[in-house]
Amino acid sequence: MRQSLLAALGLLLVAALPFVPGVPPFWFTLLNYAGLSAIVVVGLVVLTGIAGIMSFGQAMFVGIGAYATALLSLHLGLSPWLSLPVSLAASGLAALVIGAITLRLSGHYLPLGTIAWNISFFYVLGNTDALGRYDGLSGLPPIVLFGFPLVESRHLFALIWVCVALSILVTQRLLRSRTGRAIRALKGGVIAAEAFGVDTGRTRIVAFVYAAMLAGLSGWLYAHMQRAINPTPFGLNASIEVLLMTVLGGAGSVWGGVFGATLVTLLKDQLQNVLPLLLGAQGNFEAIVFGILFVLILQRAPDGLWPLLTRRATPLPPHHPAPAAPLAPRPAEPPGRVLLDAAGLRKTFGGLVAVNDIDFSVKAGEVVALIGPNGAGKSTTFNLVTGVARLTAGRVRLFDRDVSGEPARAIARLGIARTFQHVKLVGGMSVIENVALGAHLRGRAGPVRGALGLDGAEEAAIFAEARRQLARVGLAELADRPASSLALGQQRIVEIARALCLSPALLLLDEPAAGLRFREKQALGDLLRQLRRDGLGILLVEHDMDFVMGLADRLVVMNFGAKLCEGPPVAVRTNPAVVEAYLGSAA
Amino acid sequence: MDATILMLLLQDGVVNGAIYALIALSLVLVFTVTRVILIPQGEFVAFGALTLAAFEAGTVPGTVPLLLALGAAACAADLVEARHALDARRILRIALRDLVLPGAVAALAYALGPGKPTLALGIALTLAIVTPMGAYLHSIAFRPLEKASVLVLLVAAVGVHLALTGLGLVFFGAEGSRTPPLSDAMLPAGPLSVSGQSLWMIGLTLAIIVALWAFFGLTLLGKALMATAVNRLGARLMGIGPGMAGRLSFSVAAFIGALSGVLVAPLTTIYYDTGFLIGLKGFVAAIIGGLASYPAAAAAAVLVGIIESVAAFEASAFKEVIVFMAIIPVLLWRSARADPVEDEE
Amino acid sequence: MKRLVWALSLTGALVAFGAAAQPIKIGVTISKTGPAASLGIPQSNSVPLMPAQVGGQPVEWIVLDDASDTTKGVANIRKLASDDKVDAVVGSSITPVSLAMIEVAAEAKVPMITIAASSKLIAPMDDKRRWVFKTAQNDSLMAEAIVGHMVRAGVKSVGFIGFNDAYGDGWLAEMTPRLDAKGIKLVATERYARTDTSVTGQALKVMAAKPDAVLVAGSGTPAALPQKTLKERGYAGKYYQTHGVANADFLRVGGKDVEGTILPAGPLLVAEQLPESNPVRKVALDYTKAYEAKYGPGTLATFGGHAFDASVLLASALPVALKTAKPGTPEFRTALRDAIEGLKEVVYTHGVATMSPSDHIGQDERSRVMVTIENGRWKLLSPTN
Repeated sequence: MRQSLLAALGLLLVAALPFVPGVPPFWFTLLNYAGLSAIVVVGLVVLTGIAGIMSFGQAMFVGIGAYATALLSLHLGLSPWLSLPVSLAASGLAALVIGAITLRLSGHYLPLGTIAWNISFFYVLGNTDALGRYDGLSGLPPIVLFGFPLVESRHLFALIWVCVALSILVTQRLLRSRTGRAIRALKGGVIAAEAFGVDTGRTRIVAFVYAAMLAGLSGWLYAHMQRAINPTPFGLNASIEVLLMTVLGGAGSVWGGVFGATLVTLLKDQLQNVLPLLLGAQGNFEAIVFGILFVLILQRAPDGLWPLLTRRATPLPPHHPAPAAPLAPRPAEPPGRVLLDAAGLRKTFGGLVAVNDIDFSVKAGEVVALIGPNGAGKSTTFNLVTGVARLTAGRVRLFDRDVSGEPARAIARLGIARTFQHVKLVGGMSVIENVALGAHLRGRAGPVRGALGLDGAEEAAIFAEARRQLARVGLAELADRPASSLALGQQRIVEIARALCLSPALLLLDEPAAGLRFREKQALGDLLRQLRRDGLGILLVEHDMDFVMGLADRLVVMNFGAKLCEGPPVAVRTNPAVVEAYLGSAA
Repeated sequence: MDATILMLLLQDGVVNGAIYALIALSLVLVFTVTRVILIPQGEFVAFGALTLAAFEAGTVPGTVPLLLALGAAACAADLVEARHALDARRILRIALRDLVLPGAVAALAYALGPGKPTLALGIALTLAIVTPMGAYLHSIAFRPLEKASVLVLLVAAVGVHLALTGLGLVFFGAEGSRTPPLSDAMLPAGPLSVSGQSLWMIGLTLAIIVALWAFFGLTLLGKALMATAVNRLGARLMGIGPGMAGRLSFSVAAFIGALSGVLVAPLTTIYYDTGFLIGLKGFVAAIIGGLASYPAAAAAAVLVGIIESVAAFEASAFKEVIVFMAIIPVLLWRSARADPVEDEE
Repeated sequence: MKRLVWALSLTGALVAFGAAAQPIKIGVTISKTGPAASLGIPQSNSVPLMPAQVGGQPVEWIVLDDASDTTKGVANIRKLASDDKVDAVVGSSITPVSLAMIEVAAEAKVPMITIAASSKLIAPMDDKRRWVFKTAQNDSLMAEAIVGHMVRAGVKSVGFIGFNDAYGDGWLAEMTPRLDAKGIKLVATERYARTDTSVTGQALKVMAAKPDAVLVAGSGTPAALPQKTLKERGYAGKYYQTHGVANADFLRVGGKDVEGTILPAGPLLVAEQLPESNPVRKVALDYTKAYEAKYGPGTLATFGGHAFDASVLLASALPVALKTAKPGTPEFRTALRDAIEGLKEVVYTHGVATMSPSDHIGQDERSRVMVTIENGRWKLLSPTN
């Protein structure tokens, strides 16, 4: 609660400022600049803090927005209000093109890619006659509101901070929405997100374009506030500065970003005022002191100052949409229908054969267990079936359809859900939001509907469904806890709830019972039996033999990547080869 | 463009590439050991060049008091860091390293500086002044952040870069300097003439590449240093704490930086803020080398140097645009090759 | 949050403190840091030499650093105009920042004296530029001098190597039509960045075009690099530089490679070589003495003179304005603007200025001299040379 309290207090202070008599006008100028940065930083929080995409190119998008409106208002005499959508579109479009090329970059290649774009952008601006070269464009009109030109800082102040507030609002909405969950899931790992049907490549571009459009908005405001623009404010240094603001405030939350932008702007100004008094000399000490202070603050607060102030780890407060009916479940498959048919699965890593010509099938209303000693290739088989790993040879058929070589998200679309041996939940998201990610393919709302809050009915249904699945696995009371705060065994169960949220026909569970206590295992067994009665096909990898023997209809035993035998538990238990290879050593 | 011009451009590109290569090597070294992308590496280059220039002019440069101040701050930071296991020996070691060493260097600088030391002595003093700064900066700025994410470390490095650039302006002013060359020789080579200075430059770069490669590839200490980045416990068992690994790699980086500064200052004018752009080009090379391979980084550095030189000839106003747009396909290629499919932890 | 409150209350205290006194206030925003620091530092050094009293009225000079950054420059002039309520603003050091500041100066109706180079700052005259005056020689005035010298020296073709920034742009724009008019061919236009470590590519391109002369358009020590590279490659034509190099550091870094270079400069650069009859001589020498007494011999840069000249203009205009209004009022600022516009034959370190409603720099030939470098020193050339 402390977070919203502080945030509300901060915004209230800002809103009240114009009504306080005697406030020096420069405060407004300063806060205007802080606001302009804050808008860019909010986008950068989404991009860097939440989606994990490091960008050193935000000032470029500010520049695109600024130059777009400058050209339109100077050459066509267009009112700034009419050029606003063009500014946003130009920044967004540029981000789309640049993102399509650059966002394929992984690791450190991406930040460098954005640096390259930003530097090039600067020199192109400086050498383009139509853009006024290094002198830039001047004499832009001010923004006119109800016939009143916003020229003085005091007047622009209101407009800029309304834009900041709107950016925060829209961003919070976006992050809570279906698209936002996908964006936040990027940090939890691409594989888990793809396994639930999220197109992570597209999601990265959405985040990139969104951040660029906020930067474009800032650029539009900047152009009409300064009324003269040139390349310098859109160079690499400006991009670095907004990144500093983001990290200092706290890249994990939108409020942290706004706080960081305001703090850095005020701090830099104050240093210029205070240092000559403190040091007793005129000098160029601002940058030095700022750099040192910055490093010292980071040492005290590596996650930024906002989490330190609010003692809150998650970016968004708990979210409770109105109660609604859960989503309609998928019609049950007729019992006995072959859901999964794997033939000759083969995977080699270099010279090593990890999976060697495995065949098996799973029918509706059946539990099949894949067992074998460590390193037998069970998890790799799982990854082959779900499209996470690429087949070297062989064929996977789902519902009579050949899906060999199709990506994970296409397979998820067919109604296949899975859990992971190493839990892949998004730590910063609440349990229920993690579960709701499972229903990604069952919603339709895109980023625009999400950001504008027009997805209420669908979100309510998704959350009702998530709540239902969470209750089904017995963790309803933990819905609002951050996923990272749960015990590992509980996290595995949350993964099952997330998988169920996809309303799958076939459920693949990778060691679901690991880390569970006896009673929890019993409850899990009951749940899986219930699911089998509902007509689901279940394939599970498990080490706990008691658990498997009491539950599975059929066992597939693997050893050294090859299939050892297959059959009902009783037959497998007595198979001499199996006893030799596996049970023998365990018993 | 005829063949002679092309040869001249290639020669120019290789010499420039050598500077970028030296920076790239330091970046790779520091990153593999500490996960810090050392943005201030360029400042070491500028400090090296300008410190030497100050000695040449018969003055004591501002980097000398800076060394004392950094040493004192590092001493405080080291004492805080070691507060749980402080004994007399340890305190003595820290005091020797952080107070006595810079004190001795500063005393020498103050004694010899005003009397216009010889070039060799000036270079030795310069290296002695700049090299320990690496270790001190690590103790002050990065040691307390060793558990932070790469993003936070990167941003902290930007903070250090801002502070050092600001100090550079205070110490050396806005105007640039040059120093006399190590060698005045001009060797004719067909249509080209090769200056002795550029041979020094290329030769030392190659020597450093080989030395680093041998150190990390062949010696146990080198392998252990590499291991600290991924496995702190293992390194500790080898007797190398992360503090020492960090100090060592930062000092080597500072040494290479100062040396590059000394080498490049006779070839071009160096300013207090020269470091950023050449540091960036070195960064490009390091990244293309995957922040892991010394020969690849050096090769990429020479490639950047050559592209830059040819671009300066063909379309000088768009030189940076050409250089940076040219690296995007290279990045895509590297990224596609390095792409890890699995993000298992 | 605490930090924020602390910071905010501190600003309040400072503002309250500032409001207590009532002198004439002049705001100065200068690029003390960033790429233009070599201009900004001597300019900011000149502020303590400016008069502390004019017409019996104390003058307070408030200096801010704009870090060569437009955003910061505009923020500075807003702060100076709205909070410090200054009566005039001096600055900024470079053209792009000054261009953006014009908007605020006109909006707040504060006279602004820019010390940047481009003639764009005061021409074409319009409602906004009414408020803007200028002390640094227009690059057009200097370009004319260079072209004149080229004609006399029989130069038929010219190669251009300039900064890849507003300074280089300004020079290229002024030179091109003037060379054209005299039938001199511009055979190569190359650009480089201030901190580039090599300009070999550009030098080779220029040499391939075989020009009679090369003009390097850069400021301070960075302008030495192209010339040194050309020398090293054996280019034997004439070398021209701009007045941007007129400081001792250029000579130090350029060394023997810049001997014989020809450049236009403000008379301040060679004040002691001016004839006794030249009125500029005394003013310029006084300023030089005062500056070098404070910062050491050989530290003078002509850029500092531009800032000082702004104070000379103000010192001449303020007494006129004081007759009609009180400092700190809009009326005073208008009166001051009118007074500056009415200045006639004001002698300052860079010449003699006579303003008019259409000419807000008011300089003539007396503001430029042709200079060459001989034995590592600046040497005045006779006007016919």
